[in-house]
Amino acid sequence: MFKILYIYFLILQCFLCASKTNAEIINTNVERLLDLSSQLVKTTIKITAEETTGKPITEYVFLVADPNLAFISLKDDTEKNILLRKNKEDLNGDQTFTFTFKKASPTQTFVIETVSSKNIRPHPVEIEQNDKQLVKYNGSLYFYSKYKTRTQKTNVKLSSSNILFHTQQKPFSVGANRIILGPYEDIEALSQQELVVHYENQTPFLTVNTLERTIELSHWGNIAVKEEIQLTHAGAKLKGSFSRYDFQKEGRSDHSAVKSYKTYLPASASGVYYRDTNGNISTSNMNLVRDFIELELRPRFPLFGGWKTKYTLGYNVPSYEYMYNDGNKYQLKMHLIDHIYDNMVIDEAVIKIILPEGSTQIKFSTPYQISRRPNELVHTYLDTIGRPVVTFSKSNLVESHIADFTLNYSFEKVSLLQEPLLVSAFIYVIFLFTIVFLRLDFSITSHSHKE
Amino acid sequence: MDTVSFENMKRYVSPINPAVFPHLATVLLTIGTFFTAWFFIFVVSRKTTKEKTLIKELLISLCASIFLGFGIVFLLLTVGIYV
Repeated sequence: MFKILYIYFLILQCFLCASKTNAEIINTNVERLLDLSSQLVKTTIKITAEETTGKPITEYVFLVADPNLAFISLKDDTEKNILLRKNKEDLNGDQTFTFTFKKASPTQTFVIETVSSKNIRPHPVEIEQNDKQLVKYNGSLYFYSKYKTRTQKTNVKLSSSNILFHTQQKPFSVGANRIILGPYEDIEALSQQELVVHYENQTPFLTVNTLERTIELSHWGNIAVKEEIQLTHAGAKLKGSFSRYDFQKEGRSDHSAVKSYKTYLPASASGVYYRDTNGNISTSNMNLVRDFIELELRPRFPLFGGWKTKYTLGYNVPSYEYMYNDGNKYQLKMHLIDHIYDNMVIDEAVIKIILPEGSTQIKFSTPYQISRRPNELVHTYLDTIGRPVVTFSKSNLVESHIADFTLNYSFEKVSLLQEPLLVSAFIYVIFLFTIVFLRLDFSITSHSHKE
Repeated sequence: MDTVSFENMKRYVSPINPAVFPHLATVLLTIGTFFTAWFFIFVVSRKTTKEKTLIKELLISLCASIFLGFGIVFLLLTVGIYV
């Protein structure tokens, strides 16, 4: 009798040990919201994770298989957005993000938001002028995770109710412009199955190929911002010829061609210009809305699929909005990139910050990783040694990347006098030349009548 | 980074209010032109080249060039060339 009990006890202990080593995190409930209503794929994932043995969870590893991921942030119960930094090493070619919870508890609930571009592709690739733009989204049906998922549900939001096809994995239901997939039970870790949605999407598919943003500081109280932008309509390409008559007759506003779009500028912007290589583009409207300036830009021609436009947009803002100082220490806090159009995609952005001549001890910090380029020197009006330029670039940017950078530098106030004194010296040299010139005698005969 | 020093920092305003740039440019350029005119009148109305007027010429031209220099810079700032 005693022996049997002892054996029982041993077996029980073995089980406990086994379960301890198998202690793992599982996702008890996952709710995904896939917003496919624009050209971007915006995902909001609400995850409830649990430790099977009741040990507190301190770390969670989030996997992203999508190479086009542009932005990722985490929201926990403190309702604060935390930017996630990518881990150095990838797991089987996937990007991994590890985050540590502030409070360790056996169950954790948090929200992850991701934005990715270029995952919605036009299908067919070419359409005629009056055709509707149909697009295809390829994604993952299940929440892709390192851990096992008990139940999950996906809510897909589309731009229209015209759905041609979607993955028919039961259970699912289709609403007006929504597809609800799931709930799916007990999905193993790292399981992948394709989700395909083929639907109508007439929202503008504009991509900024290159953005060159130049911020020029002047200690006379001005910051000049100039953005050189090359845009492409990345939607379905136009097949056949373009008929202006049909285009004017067809008053539809939900056409995939882009007639105009809106750019938001800071409220204090003045001296706004919108031009290209031909000169000023007069078809633009500027409205001052409560706390920003709404600029309606209408390119010289409507943008059809595959068409491009290139322009320069510039404005001035007063320095007190973005510059701070203490003695000879200065700080600039400004948006890294600014709004160009709603749901924008920027392939490659190059940002240049031109500091006043004589700036030293330049320190630079950004809210997210950028690739810093070597400092340059630029020579503009009244420069001697050249102005230092801080240059950096970043690819695959979306609206969520609009955030402030901080730039610290030192500048002697006396250097401000350098420019007027330079002009004064130049003029004085002319005067000295005149004085010397008038004292020289260039005559070939001696003027005896003078004295 | 420098969050502590940032709290002590004040918003940076130009040493000269940008609203007075056009007036400043006008006044400085007028005075500068006056000195320039005086200099040239003085120089051409000199009786002989032997007269010892060098110091006076240098001083008038110095005044003229300082006023013109500052005037031109403020003119540039007025028209939107932020040097």
